[in-house]
Amino acid sequence: MIRGRSPVVRSAIRAASPLALLVAAFLFFAGHNQPGGGFAAGLVIGAVVALRTVAGIGRPQDATRWFAIGTALVSVVALAPLLGGEPLLDQVIVSETVPLLGKVKSGSALVFDAGVTAIVVGLFVAVFDGLDADELGRDEVQV
Amino acid sequence: MAHLVGVVAVLSLPNPRPAFAVALAAPLASAVWAASRLGGGETDTARLDWVEGLDLAVSFRVGPLGALLAVLVSGIGVLIFVYGHGYFGGGDRRGFAATLLAFSGSMLGLVWADDVWTLFLFWEATSVTSFLLVGTKSTDSAAVTAARRALLVTVAGGLVLLAGLLVLVDVAGTATLSEMGPVTGDQATVAAVLILVGAFTKSAQLPFHVWLPGAMAAPTPVSAYLHSATMVKAGIVLIGLMHPVLGAVDIWSGLGVTVGLLTMFWGAIGALRHADAKLVLAWGTVSQLGLMTAMMSLGSGKAIFAAVSLVVAHAVFKAALFMAVGEIDIRTGSRDLRSLSGLRTSMPVAFWVMVFAGLSMAGVPPLLGFPAKEAAIEASLKESGASGDLILAGVTIGSVLTVAYTTRLVLALFSDKGGEPTEVAPFRWAAAAPSVLLSALGVVGYVLAPSVTDWVVPAAATLETTSTGYALLRWPGLDSTAFWISMGIVAGGAIIGAAAARHSSPPEPVGANNVDRLVDRTLDLAKWTTGRVQHGSLPIYLVVMALVASLAVIPFLGSIDAGQLHAWDRPLQAGMGTAVVAAAIAVAAIRSRIGAALALGVVGLGVSALFLIQGAPDLALTQLLVETVIVVGFVIGLGGLTTQFPANGFVWRSVRIGTAVLAGTAVTVALLASAEDTPSNRESLTAAAVDEGGGNNLVNVILTDLRALDTLGEVVVLVVAAMGVLALSRADTARGGGAPLSDDVRKVRR
Repeated sequence: MIRGRSPVVRSAIRAASPLALLVAAFLFFAGHNQPGGGFAAGLVIGAVVALRTVAGIGRPQDATRWFAIGTALVSVVALAPLLGGEPLLDQVIVSETVPLLGKVKSGSALVFDAGVTAIVVGLFVAVFDGLDADELGRDEVQV
Repeated sequence: MAHLVGVVAVLSLPNPRPAFAVALAAPLASAVWAASRLGGGETDTARLDWVEGLDLAVSFRVGPLGALLAVLVSGIGVLIFVYGHGYFGGGDRRGFAATLLAFSGSMLGLVWADDVWTLFLFWEATSVTSFLLVGTKSTDSAAVTAARRALLVTVAGGLVLLAGLLVLVDVAGTATLSEMGPVTGDQATVAAVLILVGAFTKSAQLPFHVWLPGAMAAPTPVSAYLHSATMVKAGIVLIGLMHPVLGAVDIWSGLGVTVGLLTMFWGAIGALRHADAKLVLAWGTVSQLGLMTAMMSLGSGKAIFAAVSLVVAHAVFKAALFMAVGEIDIRTGSRDLRSLSGLRTSMPVAFWVMVFAGLSMAGVPPLLGFPAKEAAIEASLKESGASGDLILAGVTIGSVLTVAYTTRLVLALFSDKGGEPTEVAPFRWAAAAPSVLLSALGVVGYVLAPSVTDWVVPAAATLETTSTGYALLRWPGLDSTAFWISMGIVAGGAIIGAAAARHSSPPEPVGANNVDRLVDRTLDLAKWTTGRVQHGSLPIYLVVMALVASLAVIPFLGSIDAGQLHAWDRPLQAGMGTAVVAAAIAVAAIRSRIGAALALGVVGLGVSALFLIQGAPDLALTQLLVETVIVVGFVIGLGGLTTQFPANGFVWRSVRIGTAVLAGTAVTVALLASAEDTPSNRESLTAAAVDEGGGNNLVNVILTDLRALDTLGEVVVLVVAAMGVLALSRADTARGGGAPLSDDVRKVRR
């Protein structure tokens, strides 16, 4: 449908993808104290997936894998405290001094959030899989 | 727990050969552990509270009964794995072994559960795993139908049981079995009936017995396991566990005994009519289960004692019988009583196994089945009045028929029919040894009857305290009424059986098809409804959904506090709001698709800006990102569409406008009704966020820590839904189109 796909758009999306992923990473880590978080990061990555689909550049294919990773992360964080006799989803907060970054404080919520991100990304991949989006974006499909 | 590890271990085996050997490690361990506790009075409990407020816990309690049943479940399980190795010969059976192991683990969980919800969970687990086991030959349509039938009957029973347990927990005030006291009254009666029906489905009582003979389509190791020590005993065990709680309810024993005795009679008739050896055993199982159900629900001390003894004896001899028939099946290729000939000389091991196990089933000394049957007759003798006479008559007639079909089975199976003896494949140790061991156990159990008594009595006493003081008698003495009844039963049954063996009539189709017909009708109805409701038009779906959702706000109309409404906090909001409204009107008015999409984008960005002004940067950010993604979505979607919206008829247009206005109003009402002037728990949440969550962004800390359970639930629902959609759309592609989704896609593309 996007006939004679513009090389400019293509290159631009190609170049912008890593930057967008960087933004996603920033949002992900910023989420604890500032706007952002796992869901927002997932949306940004999802947008990258969508754009790459439009441009006909390679994109993640297997939604199931994203779901599996996401669900596993989320469940592990949820269930792990039970083993230690703590209530479900109890948080563990770690505070470490790391070179370059200084004092870093983080907790198991970060892993939980990573699971959310993976699931959101998986959702995008699934939508494009379900809609045959690759086919929609392919040149030879005449409409 | 060990079983779970075992399942994973078996599935991850690189080489299929030792699958059964690895699989039997877990039941072996639990059997040995449980056996070491037999006869002892100690009780172990393990409890993991989950949601204390709802009284939800995973709770186990292993007392004398739990130990006894665990020995049966795991001990016979070990033998089944050995037998399975011999039965299947070679081939990759990892999946089968793992499923069998999972089933065995579920059964252990069921008999050890001390919490009704734990019990229910494992109850359903046995239903599901047994479905997989019965349907092992997934290419065989008979096996698949049988598996489906078994699943539907037992799962339907499971739902009834669930309802019964809910009522029970309400009336008993606790979900912990060991803490429940006796209950009576109307509510208890309802619970009793529902729970009994649940037990009947699982233990194949009339009229739910239809699934059991069909389940014979399963490989024999499955039948030998499910129909001797495990699956079908679940219902009996449930009745036993509920006896201390519901035994005092009037209808409890009446219903249980009536259904049990009728089943015993009908099952025995079925066993006499069939010519397939395995089906004879299946109907015999139905019959035996009837006797156990009757005894367990009769509820006197002696009857409970008899029921537990019967459970033990039946597990041992029925597993042996199934194994022997399975051995005949794999070595001759037939189970037909009328055609097999000369097996007595060609398969002596199977013959003697059948004789000993059969005598035990018939209740003849010197085998374990005899004292158990004696106990049942004595328990019936103890009942007084007309109902007592009826029970005695029922047990007697049922037992006569039991002896009869046992005699017929053994005589017909091993007689010489004239003509060539049936060809027999080579002997396999692994397929024969377990059945030899089990039939020998019948003799050993008789000799060691006092020891068996020591195991059974404490087990029965956990259900009914008056069960102590009884014993399994090797020789009741010539002045015992029960003994003479017993001898009469054996004599009468043997004569009938011998006669029946000579006049083997062709098998008549016994109608188990009603369930199948019901299933087919249901599926037809579902197809019809789906055709009516799911017509595949997206606009109509949207209209219906919006209308229904709008109705949902009606109850909230009253909770709008008009006093706290004000137009705006800051003038900027008014400006932004106006822009959003204008853009929204534009969306509806613009005829060009791309124009409408852009206007929609303005609405989204405007709302995002409103969030920002209100002081909700998180919400604004999310909204902004969602808008971005939607734009990309439009780019993908619009490419395949006409540039203009198609013109609509007046009626359809009016319907859509009306729906839109209604939905908009509904959302406004919902927002107004839920708006609060001062967030009630803001301070406490902020404090908690920093303390517990270790973050300053309140919204995100709520999402990932304070209310993470909600998030967990949401993402899981999301994943499940997405996986479902994905699977559907893939199935559609694989089939080459035709399902609603791709129709829509095609329509849209046009």
